[in-house]
Amino acid sequence: MSAGSLVELTIDGRKVSVPAGTTIFDAARIHDIGIPTLCHQQNEKPVGVCRVCVVDVGTRVYTASCIRPVEPGMVVNTAADGVKRARHTLIELLMSDHPSPCARERQSGDCELEALAKREQITAVRYAPRATRRGPDDSSMSIAVDFDACILCDRCIRGCSDIRENFVLGRMGKGATTGIAFDDNEPMGESSCVSCGECMVSCPTGALTNKVVTQTAIARTPDSEPVSLAELQELPFFGGVSGTFLSLNRNAVVRRHFKPGEVICREGEYGSTAFYMLEGQAKVSIASPMAHVKTKGAVRNFLGKLSSKLTQRQNDHREEETSQHWIHIDAPMDLSYDNPVAMLGPGDLFGEMTCMSLYPRSATVRAETACTAFEMLRNVLDIMQRNKTFRAKLDQSYRQRALDSHLRAVPVFAELTDQFIAGLRERVELLRFTPGQVICRQGEAADSFYLVRIGFVKVSQTHAGGEMVLAYLSRGEYFGETALLEDTVRSATCTALDHVEVVRISAEDFASMTRQFPGVRQKLEQVGRERVQMNHETLVMINSTPLDSFLKQGLMEAQSLLLLDLNACTRCDACVTACADAHDGVTRLVREGLRFDHYLVATSCRQCLDPLCMVGCPVGSIRRRNSLEVIIEDWCIGCGLCAENCPYGNINMHPFNVFTDVPGMPGQKKAMVKQKATSCDLCSDFAEPSCVYACPHDAAHRVNPRTFFANLLKQGAGTTLES
Amino acid sequence: MRIDRTHRAWLIASLIIFGVATAIYVVYAASSPAGPSGGSAIGLAFGIAGSLCMIFAGLLAARKKVPVWRLGRAQTWMRGHLWLGLLSLPLILFHGEFRFGGPLTSVLMVLLIVVVVSGIFGAALQHYMPPVMTTRIPMETIFEQIDRVRAQLLAEADEMVESACGPLNFQDTATATIATTDTLPLCNFYRRDVRPFLHRSRAQNPALSNRVKAAGIFEGLRTLLPATLHDIVKNLEDICEEERQLRRQTRYHHWLHGWLMLHVPLSLALLLLGCAHAIMALRY
Repeated sequence: MSAGSLVELTIDGRKVSVPAGTTIFDAARIHDIGIPTLCHQQNEKPVGVCRVCVVDVGTRVYTASCIRPVEPGMVVNTAADGVKRARHTLIELLMSDHPSPCARERQSGDCELEALAKREQITAVRYAPRATRRGPDDSSMSIAVDFDACILCDRCIRGCSDIRENFVLGRMGKGATTGIAFDDNEPMGESSCVSCGECMVSCPTGALTNKVVTQTAIARTPDSEPVSLAELQELPFFGGVSGTFLSLNRNAVVRRHFKPGEVICREGEYGSTAFYMLEGQAKVSIASPMAHVKTKGAVRNFLGKLSSKLTQRQNDHREEETSQHWIHIDAPMDLSYDNPVAMLGPGDLFGEMTCMSLYPRSATVRAETACTAFEMLRNVLDIMQRNKTFRAKLDQSYRQRALDSHLRAVPVFAELTDQFIAGLRERVELLRFTPGQVICRQGEAADSFYLVRIGFVKVSQTHAGGEMVLAYLSRGEYFGETALLEDTVRSATCTALDHVEVVRISAEDFASMTRQFPGVRQKLEQVGRERVQMNHETLVMINSTPLDSFLKQGLMEAQSLLLLDLNACTRCDACVTACADAHDGVTRLVREGLRFDHYLVATSCRQCLDPLCMVGCPVGSIRRRNSLEVIIEDWCIGCGLCAENCPYGNINMHPFNVFTDVPGMPGQKKAMVKQKATSCDLCSDFAEPSCVYACPHDAAHRVNPRTFFANLLKQGAGTTLES
Repeated sequence: MRIDRTHRAWLIASLIIFGVATAIYVVYAASSPAGPSGGSAIGLAFGIAGSLCMIFAGLLAARKKVPVWRLGRAQTWMRGHLWLGLLSLPLILFHGEFRFGGPLTSVLMVLLIVVVVSGIFGAALQHYMPPVMTTRIPMETIFEQIDRVRAQLLAEADEMVESACGPLNFQDTATATIATTDTLPLCNFYRRDVRPFLHRSRAQNPALSNRVKAAGIFEGLRTLLPATLHDIVKNLEDICEEERQLRRQTRYHHWLHGWLMLHVPLSLALLLLGCAHAIMALRY
């Protein structure tokens, strides 16, 4: 049976159908049938150790619903008398060892075990408690441990190892002496615990509780309103979230009210919060001029300097410029290039990338009507997104509103029909990956095609000499097509660089798409061939150039270097002056940098093979041309992140005076300064870069390093680099 | 600019022009009963050709003012400047019949000779010095940044020594911490020799300006200090080396560009007086 097919079964007399592979517990949850549990948490892998979730499926023994997958025709009874009795006994046994009320019950009144005991009306326990008690561990500065309240559900262990990958917590002992332990049973404060709090948030009882050393708090403004713990606990998307966590983080979420016209967040600004719209409508837009920086190719007067201007696409259609009509932003929709405005309404979450990965805001959001929204810090957003119900709601919103434009924004998918996308809508999977997590691995069998929805994905290949980065992919870009088209294994490893969300299209759907739309297949094959060719060239270049020390300095990462022959250069700075004259008086090169033999590698854009500048661009405006040349697209919002990311300081921010609309005053404009990122554009208006052209001593050269230095080394030039 | 094989075409063209001009001049001088004259048609032709060469050479400065104008690559202009500027001397000598003439022409001739000789001197400097700078100043920085780099070196050295010896108030020695026995030689050496050297004070130890002597001094200092302070000594030694290189760069830079202080104004004067000479000769 394929993973996508549906299975019909009966739960408590109701006929339901769920995708194959779903557990009984999840099938019941989807259909609003509650099954009590202690050891199972939605964001963790189920293990079935507490057995509280047992159900009757007509077999010899009751089965743990959290781990048992559904089967066709299965008849499940979640509330049979025998099941109820077994559950009652289990809870009673657990309560016999539980120090009631435990610390969590005292702090936030939401100990899950005690809540279940109340539901089962267990007031007196018939069984004797454990004879030996392990007692508390108060060694940690931030987390209080009470081993006696531990029910060995393993939620803390899975949180520590599977979610945070800290691997500090584990089990120790056997039988009645089994317990959780930090490292080799060290006191928590002396263990390698990093106090991330994941165990505490995962714990259903008072075994791990916070000491309230410090509280996360969001900056308060006059329009913000605190949300009480009780109020938070009643919100559907905080259902099942540990009261300890909510108590600790209750100040990390505020309700904010915005008047019509008020700015909720502004493009380019750095922030650390996300917004969840509760009421009202807000307009999301990009105010940055849809234009790129261009050096004017004519001079007004004899002594005049060339100047950089903002030029729109209609006036200057650059060669190989993207035909993209959509701008990807940090919201559930994309913006049209021609009219970069969209509306946000109740239920929309925006600012995820800013909140999770601290990227600049990608667009300005302004209240169109009176709006109310939750503003939250990362830890709250993170916990919200772990809630499957909330995720499902967000995902559904994405499927209905954004998948269509997202797919069409990718040029190769432009010809997909509405009917096909409608069919695809419910079948695609929306997956999330944490920083460093591998999405697909080189050499693995290919079973999916991926479209990047949020974040940045690193594509790399492993070779004998180490890892080679092939590309960074951001929202709107895709991967995994080559192996599917060629029916072969993955040729590269794709890893999440930050908080990444992807749309996964199964191999079957991908095959169906390429069958129905031969044009899409052709385009994908074309792109695939270009990628393979590019990767091959890079590999050949690296393997054929015996430049160990050269590689260490990252020069082979470059595709175009500005070199100054120091044996010919008289240090007259004509190159710098020419560059400044060509770019509004601001030079884009500095006559300083690494030396290789008698060459100076000047500080000027190198068109890197591994362009770190592209990582993090909130609107994806810095990209490669097909020639690998780095280009900054029209919709750059001037946040400056690329300039910060460039390890060589080769990107500058250039200020321009522009006129923008005055909010609420139609027809009125005001002057303001907008920044646009600029880097060496190789003076593309001219046949030769100005720095090279203006060098009177034939010392400045723009070269392809792969050929230039290879030839130089073959001639026996220097083997050391100096900085 | 390096005068290398890439100049061959210019060299050959210049030699041909020079040869042809010499031949014309020799024939002309031999065939003129009254001897050659600058005012004759051929003499004037030499004068015009020489002047055009000088004007083209002089236009290099104007060309540099508009570096991004596509008026031909700057290196082509520079080659033209070198070779045509050089060629202007024999042409003008042919024009002036190898005589200095009156006061104005004498001044012009002297100026021309000085300009050409300074140009040759400058070209030689620009041919030989860049490789020397590349080899001898591996820590070269942007010339305009030298003072800033030097200030950073001083601050770095102060901080390093203070981290070992305690606060050394260089302005007010009375409040300075008294170094321990271990650090005393370092403290004293830094105060007496290194800091004045880095600070470019008058009373500086000239031995630190010499790399070999400085190495000996630092080696001697190491013998007085515990091994834990040897890293600091090494860093101080490196800082002194960088200071020496910066001084050398300053010196070389002045050599490399200083001759222009003579060449450029005299070239301008030559062109202006040349114009005056042309006007006067044609007018009177």
